[in-house]
Amino acid sequence: MEQNHTKRQIKVTRNSLFEQGYLDEQFSQLEDLQDEANPNFVKEIVTLFFSDSTRLIRNVENALESYPLDFCKLDDYMHQFMGSSSSIGAKKVKNECTQFQECCKAMNADGCIRAFQRVKQEHAVLKRKLEAYFQVSL
Amino acid sequence: MTVEEIRGSDHEIDRFPIGMRVLAVDDNPTCLKLLEGLLRKCQYHVTTTNQAITALNMLRENRNRFDLVISDVYMPDMDGFKLLELVGLEMDLPVIMLSGNGDRNLVMKGVTHGACDYLVKPVRLEELRNIWQHVIRRKVESKSKNNHEKSDQGKEGGDQNEKLNRKRKDEDTDEENGNESDDPTTKKKARVVWSIDLHRKFVAAINQLGIEKAVPKRILDLMNVDGLTRENVASHLQKYRLYLKRISQQANMVVTFGGNNDASSYMRMSPLDGLGDFRTLSCSGRLPNASYAPPGMLGRLNSATGVALHSLTAPPLVQPNHTQTKLQPVVSSNHQNVNLFQGIPPSFDHDQRQYCNKPNTQLTDVGSFDESRIFTGTNLAGFSSIDEPRMFRGSSTFTDPISVLANQAGVKLTSTGTESFNHLSDSSGFLDQNGNQPPNFSSNLNLQPLAESYSYPAVINGGFSSNITTAAAPIEPHGGGLVGDIVQNVNRSLPNQKGGSRSKQDYSQYSQNALPTQATSALASYDSLSGPVSHSRPNGSRSIPFQTEQIKLQSGFVSNKSYGSLDDIIPGMMKQEQDTTMPMNGEFGYDPYIDPDREYNDESR
Repeated sequence: MEQNHTKRQIKVTRNSLFEQGYLDEQFSQLEDLQDEANPNFVKEIVTLFFSDSTRLIRNVENALESYPLDFCKLDDYMHQFMGSSSSIGAKKVKNECTQFQECCKAMNADGCIRAFQRVKQEHAVLKRKLEAYFQVSL
Repeated sequence: MTVEEIRGSDHEIDRFPIGMRVLAVDDNPTCLKLLEGLLRKCQYHVTTTNQAITALNMLRENRNRFDLVISDVYMPDMDGFKLLELVGLEMDLPVIMLSGNGDRNLVMKGVTHGACDYLVKPVRLEELRNIWQHVIRRKVESKSKNNHEKSDQGKEGGDQNEKLNRKRKDEDTDEENGNESDDPTTKKKARVVWSIDLHRKFVAAINQLGIEKAVPKRILDLMNVDGLTRENVASHLQKYRLYLKRISQQANMVVTFGGNNDASSYMRMSPLDGLGDFRTLSCSGRLPNASYAPPGMLGRLNSATGVALHSLTAPPLVQPNHTQTKLQPVVSSNHQNVNLFQGIPPSFDHDQRQYCNKPNTQLTDVGSFDESRIFTGTNLAGFSSIDEPRMFRGSSTFTDPISVLANQAGVKLTSTGTESFNHLSDSSGFLDQNGNQPPNFSSNLNLQPLAESYSYPAVINGGFSSNITTAAAPIEPHGGGLVGDIVQNVNRSLPNQKGGSRSKQDYSQYSQNALPTQATSALASYDSLSGPVSHSRPNGSRSIPFQTEQIKLQSGFVSNKSYGSLDDIIPGMMKQEQDTTMPMNGEFGYDPYIDPDREYNDESR
């Protein structure tokens, strides 16, 4: 039936996100928190994540434009980014954030810029995938 | 003791921990939402806020509204540790820290600041399911402490330190009746508001008796306040001791952690804001603990009479050189800000931090801090290694703590005063050496642009502390003379090598001999800032050493500057914020930083 097919599709999509490393088990925790009292919990928190992280990305971009780079500030931003991404289980994004933080610690400006590009990239990819996922699942 | 007693009039008592009321604080919206979801899943009653200030206000409004607080460590408006301290002191609620960073130093810091647990993000549901135990534990300890107190007529309150003094709050909580304590055995005592004056008397009494002999009964007698019971004094004393202890522990930690890079991260997270809270606290007069502001600190700096220099928070630091008289005015004006322990640490911290930036290398022997040190040193002791980065930039003459602060471009001082102190002391060690800054000094400086600091002005201590913090950045660290001196005197009971006796003196004076600490004297002795501050704490019973006289603030500390004056200074200092870290060229020499805008009373100038 269509419904079953959709459900299966949803499951497949979800599993692939895990298998490809976009999400980790923290995301499962989010799903566990969803219940009758909180029926849209996952979507809400993911939406919140993306709006918050988009803002952070903008801040980082601005910070990266200043010279010399303020590594402390950048590290701060990344810390926040890390906190949110790990909270929703955004595995790849989180990993890239870690890389960025390493570059900050090493005060490697070029490294930071490159790492940030990857963060943005992973962020965009995840956003696309999750949007698709929610569209299907909701 | 049953849960019902503990919970008071909560209807859901029998279902505890279901319905446990948690206040969650985290500036990160995603994390906060997750936390909320998790806590709801545990069937707790959750209130969330993304601002520490808001959280504090909520708690102050009604401490009984919540059973437990969970707070993030890194927050823009206030350092989580500061919040932790405040909540612990003022409200005596269990606080759990939360952070994405599970670094050992951070965790240690959390513990020493009184957190009952430290969780690392992302938090798991299982971890949250168990947090209710902290609520029960605290109540149990509180009650047992209460019992102990009652049977403890005239015994020293010291032995009560083992119990969590903060529990006292729990006793008085629940019922905020007037001041009648009908039944001494009931845990519900009237809540006594430890106003600045009251705390001042308290501290004066302690100083008079000497910290070892400071028994609640005698303190009560000396204070001679109507309506104050021995139990009130006893619990207040407990808190005070705990605070001192913590500060000394922090001081110890500073030594251990000195030079730790992580410190910089701490630096980052210590908003000066804590002071602000104190201010509110003191203003509202609801800070029973607020009065813990280490009078010693003030005294030391201000060469106060050992009276509760509540206003210590800001002015004292800034005016190390002030003679006692000078400081007095400040003190009084700041008394609002004094905020009791809480308040002071922030201010101190800032200053301290500025100075202490130096990595541990030259850290004085923090380890030798002891409680008495705490008395005097106030927040200095509380410095953890984290603050190191903040410490002094090294060099420059210490003359002016404010300037020191100012130089610390963007150094974010943690609110824990003790921390700053420790740093200071540590740095003082450095400073002494011909003002040569230890190499790591600069490198460890992790000055955070103050711009990111919190709005100190709002902070208590007449905004002094806050001012200091903000200003701290711009202030050029003077050769730790001033600050170091202060710190040394304040925090450490260890005499400076050079002026060691001096600091000791102050310290002991303050804490042990109830002698008015000559903070100024301490400050004045730039020279005394000899090498490593590893002063061993002299026993409190030291008579005031000669150094007192020597102490003269070389630096241009603003003498008894009222807040107004501080405000003047602050802008000046703020200007300096723009400067990047000060060149730590080991100018520890004590060239007083002379701020043309400031009125320096010091004679050495």
